[in-house]
Amino acid sequence: MDPEASRTARESLDLAFQMSNILDTGLDRHTLSVLIALCDLGVNPEALAALVKELRNEKPSLSSATARSSLS
Amino acid sequence: MEDEEDQQKVSDLVRELVIRLLSSPADDGSATTNSKPNLNSPHFVNSLRYAQRILCSRLTPSVAPDAAAIADSVKRRLASHGSSSLALSFADLFAKFSSKTGPGSVNNKWAVIYLLKIISEDRKGAKSQYCPSNLLPNLSLSDDADFGKGKGSSSVKPLGDNNKKGWDNGVLLVSKDPENRRELAFREFVNLVREENEVSEEVLVRDVLYACQGVDGKYVKFDGGSDDAGYVLSDSISVPRATRIMVHKLCELGRLFRKVTGYIAQSMDRFPAEDVGTVGQALCSALQDELTEYYKLLAVLEAQSSNPIPLVSETASSGNYLSLRRLAVWIAEPMVKMRLMADLVDKCRVLKGGAMASAIHLHARHGDPLVHEFMRRLLQRVCAPLFEMVKRWVQEGELEDIFAEFFIVGQEVKAESLWREGYRLNHSMLPSFISPSLAQRILRTGKSINFLRVCCDDRSWADAATRVATDIGVTARRGGFGYGETDTLESLVDEAAKRIDKHLLDVIYRRYKFKEHCLAIKRYLLLGQGDFVQYLMDIVGPDLSEPANTISSFKLSGLLETAVRASNAQYDDRDMLDRLRVKMMPHESGDRGWDVFSLEYDARVPLDTVFTESVMAKYLRIFNFLWKLRRVEHALTGAWKTMKPNCISYHSFTRLQSAVKKELDSTLRRCQVLWVEINHFISNLQYYIMFEVLEVSWSNFLSEMDVAKDLDDLLAAHDTYLDSIVEKSLLGELSQSLYKSLLVIFDLILRFRSHADRLYEGIQELQARITRSSQSSSEQGSWTADGRKALTQRAGEFLRNMGHDLEEISKEYSSLQEEFISQFPVQKHVDLKFLFFRLDFNEFYRRVSPSS
Repeated sequence: MDPEASRTARESLDLAFQMSNILDTGLDRHTLSVLIALCDLGVNPEALAALVKELRNEKPSLSSATARSSLS
Repeated sequence: MEDEEDQQKVSDLVRELVIRLLSSPADDGSATTNSKPNLNSPHFVNSLRYAQRILCSRLTPSVAPDAAAIADSVKRRLASHGSSSLALSFADLFAKFSSKTGPGSVNNKWAVIYLLKIISEDRKGAKSQYCPSNLLPNLSLSDDADFGKGKGSSSVKPLGDNNKKGWDNGVLLVSKDPENRRELAFREFVNLVREENEVSEEVLVRDVLYACQGVDGKYVKFDGGSDDAGYVLSDSISVPRATRIMVHKLCELGRLFRKVTGYIAQSMDRFPAEDVGTVGQALCSALQDELTEYYKLLAVLEAQSSNPIPLVSETASSGNYLSLRRLAVWIAEPMVKMRLMADLVDKCRVLKGGAMASAIHLHARHGDPLVHEFMRRLLQRVCAPLFEMVKRWVQEGELEDIFAEFFIVGQEVKAESLWREGYRLNHSMLPSFISPSLAQRILRTGKSINFLRVCCDDRSWADAATRVATDIGVTARRGGFGYGETDTLESLVDEAAKRIDKHLLDVIYRRYKFKEHCLAIKRYLLLGQGDFVQYLMDIVGPDLSEPANTISSFKLSGLLETAVRASNAQYDDRDMLDRLRVKMMPHESGDRGWDVFSLEYDARVPLDTVFTESVMAKYLRIFNFLWKLRRVEHALTGAWKTMKPNCISYHSFTRLQSAVKKELDSTLRRCQVLWVEINHFISNLQYYIMFEVLEVSWSNFLSEMDVAKDLDDLLAAHDTYLDSIVEKSLLGELSQSLYKSLLVIFDLILRFRSHADRLYEGIQELQARITRSSQSSSEQGSWTADGRKALTQRAGEFLRNMGHDLEEISKEYSSLQEEFISQFPVQKHVDLKFLFFRLDFNEFYRRVSPSS
């Protein structure tokens, strides 16, 4: 991969992550990168959002032991 | 290939995502495997399948892919939640993010931003339990859209449906209702409706639509038997009363429609055989066009009627369904129009042509703009043939009216009465939007053209017509004037009328020398040419004294010719002199030539339009009166010639006895006095007739002729001219008694003339004898003494007789004159006052008259 491109990609991801934090989405960096990749592939963001929401809803019931970290 | 690759990538990524999401996000940034859920656990598999299902659904984003706009909305949201610093930093980040381009940068920036936005909203909703934001992206436009904690599945449903906010709210309200009470109620209602209605509303709607096209439906059928024929819902079907009434109301349209189409069909059927008329045809065509509009609407409605009605039928949610109530709204306007049309059809069934246009025009004067506009449109079509006729008539003089619809009617008449009787207005066919004065103008214009063509044999009218046509073409659209453009019509008519009238008068004045002919008539028929009259009187006088039946009119014609040659009249236009004829009026036995002789002027086409027979009869009456007057005057002049004092040499009577001589003197004197009196009367009467009647009327006529703009004006001017002469010269109705006594006076004067002649003849004979006897007396004294005595005796007797006669005539005359003059004060004519004053300027007669 072109070093220039990878730098741009990283910066973009940083920026997106910061925005994500401001908006209090609760996403970690990796998840965000996966989502961005999916978006780039043309997946409908609405569907992705729905998926995120649904799976999050299920998670507490599944693993309530895991403390939910509330990112701020 | 690439697709498959992408698919693979996507599924890998999804898998990764699910893993990440299901695992505990304890550590930031790094996915730890120890907290990784069991990849084989059914839960994970389920979740994965679920994720794939969601992602595979054909959902497409519901917002426009516009990163800036989405970022904006996020900013606004942050700002409105009181964290403006966050909003600022977000804006900064976004600016940087979006500036990243080229390889390695994120391509689908808007999607990323959008994704973040939705997730953020979701989380916020999840955190504050009572105010969960929804997943519906489109609702994010209204942030505070407040709806219950819908189950996930129900919330996802309307995705991709571009419904409006209100509608969504409605649905969401339904889902908010925890016990679905509303749905239950609806279901109950549907059941109720089903129970009550034997026939579903959809079927009824379809039937009504059929009825509106004049076709029997399954349940709604035409019932022509009852008084109010119309479409009714058959009684055997049980529907609620309200529905029945509704159907009945809606079906009125069908009844009206039947009426209108019936009329059209009837008219079209009758067309070739009977005279429906062009206007009737135009009406039919206009109605047909309106019906075409109506058909279009019906087609739309029919298409809609196939959509099921929600609630009642199971498959709900079709937007454009048609219930009876909706139908009522749809057909409200067509109903008004159809009513109007049916009304018109009723009114116009027996009418045609202009009358039909009038009837429709009455309807057009309506306050409702809809009605007004509708009628105007209709009238524009209906009046088109009428206006076309007007145009043809006004510009070319063609009367193209096969069906007798036009307000101008032509009649077959002879050329001389073409102007007066050839064409007339048919008031029943005159459309009420054309004013009577305009109609008159239209009539006259076309008449002028026809008059020029038929009577004047003038072809140049065609040029004038084309000139008018082109002129109008400039000012108005060619052939484009119709109902409601009365101004254009007026200007067209005025323009055409002006040209044609001018041309017509030009032809009449220049080519047919109207003025000259009038002058000739005045000179010869009204005896304005003094020397001619004098000669004529001299020449024909002896012949006219014969009994009427012995007079040859050929001889008189010759004499007339002689009189013309002898007088200044010979320098007149030959054409006019040729028209002057002698006319012998029908005579009875005992009539003298004087009574039947008259002159006549032959006015040929086209001037006989002015000088019609009745007009010539008036001229004849005037001529007869004037001729009598002239004759009396002539007789008086003749008497004066014999009476002149120097005709009688007094010295020859010196030898007569003084008594006889005195008798002679007094008789002569009486005769002279009477003559003077009569002469005063006659010359004043003649002066009055000649100068105060004829010349004044003539000069008025001339000035009126100058301002006359069309032939009608000219005719009117001539009529007033003639009437004023008739009235003023005592020939009118009002002065009949005067006229009669005048005739008696004339007779008396003629008698006086013959007496005076006899008197002077006698005196001359006496004179001759005396001269002879005085010559012979010198030779035979004794014989002559006897003769002289007898002579004196006879002379005395003769003179006494004559004196007696003259005395009687004088008495009669003065009594007649008195009677004549005494009638003057009660006369209404102003001009007769002048005559009265002239005859009695020193009030001599009034003093003499015993009554005063």
